[in-house]
Amino acid sequence: MKRLLFGGMVAGAVLLPFLALVLWAFSQRWFYPRLLPEQWGLRAWQYVLGTAGTQMTEAFTHSVLVATVTAVLSVAGGVPAGRVLGLYHFRGKDLLSIVLMLPIIVPPLCVAMGLHLWLLQLELAATLAGVVLVHLSACLPYAVFVMWGVFSNYNLDFEDQARSLGASTLSVIWRVMLPLTFPGIVVAALFSFLLSWSQYLSTLLIGGGKILTLPILLFALMGSGDRPVAAAVSIVFVIPALAALAMSARYLGSRRMLGVW
Amino acid sequence: MGVLALDELSIAYGADTVVRGLTLEVAEGELVSLLGPSGAGKTSVLKAVAGLLAPAGGDVRIDGCSVRGLPPEKRSAVMVFQKPLLFPFMNVAQNIGFGLRMQAVAPAEARRRIRDILELTRLTGFEGRRVHEISGGQQQRVALARALVLKPAILLLDEPLSSLDANLRQQMRELLQDIQSETRVTTLLVTHDQSEALMLSHRIGLLLDGRLRQVGTPHDLFHRPADRAVAEFFGGCNFLTGRLQGGLFACEIGSFPAPGVVANGHRLTAAIRPEDILVGGDCDHPIPGRVRRTRFEGAATRLWVDCGPVRLVVLTPRGDLLPGQPVCLRLPAEKIRIFPPG
Repeated sequence: MKRLLFGGMVAGAVLLPFLALVLWAFSQRWFYPRLLPEQWGLRAWQYVLGTAGTQMTEAFTHSVLVATVTAVLSVAGGVPAGRVLGLYHFRGKDLLSIVLMLPIIVPPLCVAMGLHLWLLQLELAATLAGVVLVHLSACLPYAVFVMWGVFSNYNLDFEDQARSLGASTLSVIWRVMLPLTFPGIVVAALFSFLLSWSQYLSTLLIGGGKILTLPILLFALMGSGDRPVAAAVSIVFVIPALAALAMSARYLGSRRMLGVW
Repeated sequence: MGVLALDELSIAYGADTVVRGLTLEVAEGELVSLLGPSGAGKTSVLKAVAGLLAPAGGDVRIDGCSVRGLPPEKRSAVMVFQKPLLFPFMNVAQNIGFGLRMQAVAPAEARRRIRDILELTRLTGFEGRRVHEISGGQQQRVALARALVLKPAILLLDEPLSSLDANLRQQMRELLQDIQSETRVTTLLVTHDQSEALMLSHRIGLLLDGRLRQVGTPHDLFHRPADRAVAEFFGGCNFLTGRLQGGLFACEIGSFPAPGVVANGHRLTAAIRPEDILVGGDCDHPIPGRVRRTRFEGAATRLWVDCGPVRLVVLTPRGDLLPGQPVCLRLPAEKIRIFPPG
């Protein structure tokens, strides 16, 4: 009973702000001081899915593509880097960890502006690849740190045992290391996905206005003052993120916490 | 079935040589224990045989062929670690079948072998259990099954019983003995537990300070230690120092016949086990003493007896002796082990 009450309270606290969004998205007329919309309607959705349909599809596709590719590349780099940092001691390790932290410490605008010039020279500006690269500069450190933590608690004896049982190096990686570190990999991928998904400034800067992602579309619509439409786009924006979170919920936190949900 | 030969094996950690000149043979079907105090480098020897560690020198030969340079996955020696190290993302049957999958054994054949090994290790019915659902002892048995199912030429066991509690240890000891005698797998076992080594092994190799001090049957090591260090390892021995004079070993408490020992004039050390000293009764050369302390240990009582300058520890079935009481001790000559000089 207590668990249900606690769960309900947590769920309520998280979902309450979304309630406001949902109300706005389905409202036609809603002015202060009314607590609920005067008129309900689907105008916002008609606009979002109809008139602005092409734009929405483009933004949605770009966002999914960039976030997924960023997450995959982030993990691909994070796992070997995290393994080295978690398992070995070497000269310059402290310096390396500070260097890795820099994209997080330094304001993202500075990082993006700095990278912009370089990407222009590489002719990657205003391309999806360029956007992925700049997102990676923010996501990779997180992935590395998550995997560093995972490998710090990693028992290498498992790999020795597997080798003694006849596993080749490739088999050890594929059948032992990756399954053992899988929860960490999911967390690293999730962090990277969500971080990339919500990037605005860096996408705007590197994309040069030519690459349209959901956050950019959302900000534009917010600027127009049309709240119901902005709310509807927000809901479209939030759902994939929530879906990613739900899919990886199994690997986050303790079993007890998951029992609450 | 395999024959293991360690030839002048030496193990080093950086500049530190922990094991040197280790030469040992394990015959087909034999269980040999490498016994020694913790930290003596025994696990490293096992890892060197398994291929997980490169030895600093010497050779490892399985069935006559040197395996130096051969990676662990290609050697026919399988190591079972101190902790079960069962893969948590697999159930019991999948864990056991891991090595079989690596060897690309056909699924039907693999299933049959897994079933057989589960029966041998008394784990029938546990196939679908997850690793965290079984007890420590059961986990240890699964780890053993995982190695045995591959029918390795050499089985390497690293302190297989040390992570178990006392009751389980006894059961596992018996299981290990049964399995080893049934499968006749050549086994090299490493342990710091003397009783484990004494109970399980066909032969024991005692590793002290990085060198193999004595290799022999459990009986040899216990009753006929090669030197003082070996005797001290098995604990409880009484040590006497003296000289050989005219065929007799003359020490602080008397002279004893010493047939076969040739070392006239040298200072020698002799040892006699507490349970070999007899209390009371008629004898030619009784040694008088006074009981200092007693300790009841169940089947026997341990006495600390002062005999002049020497204190002897005696283990006797007699329970009637009290501190302060005078006693007469007999040291049977055949039980006194005189160590060669040097």
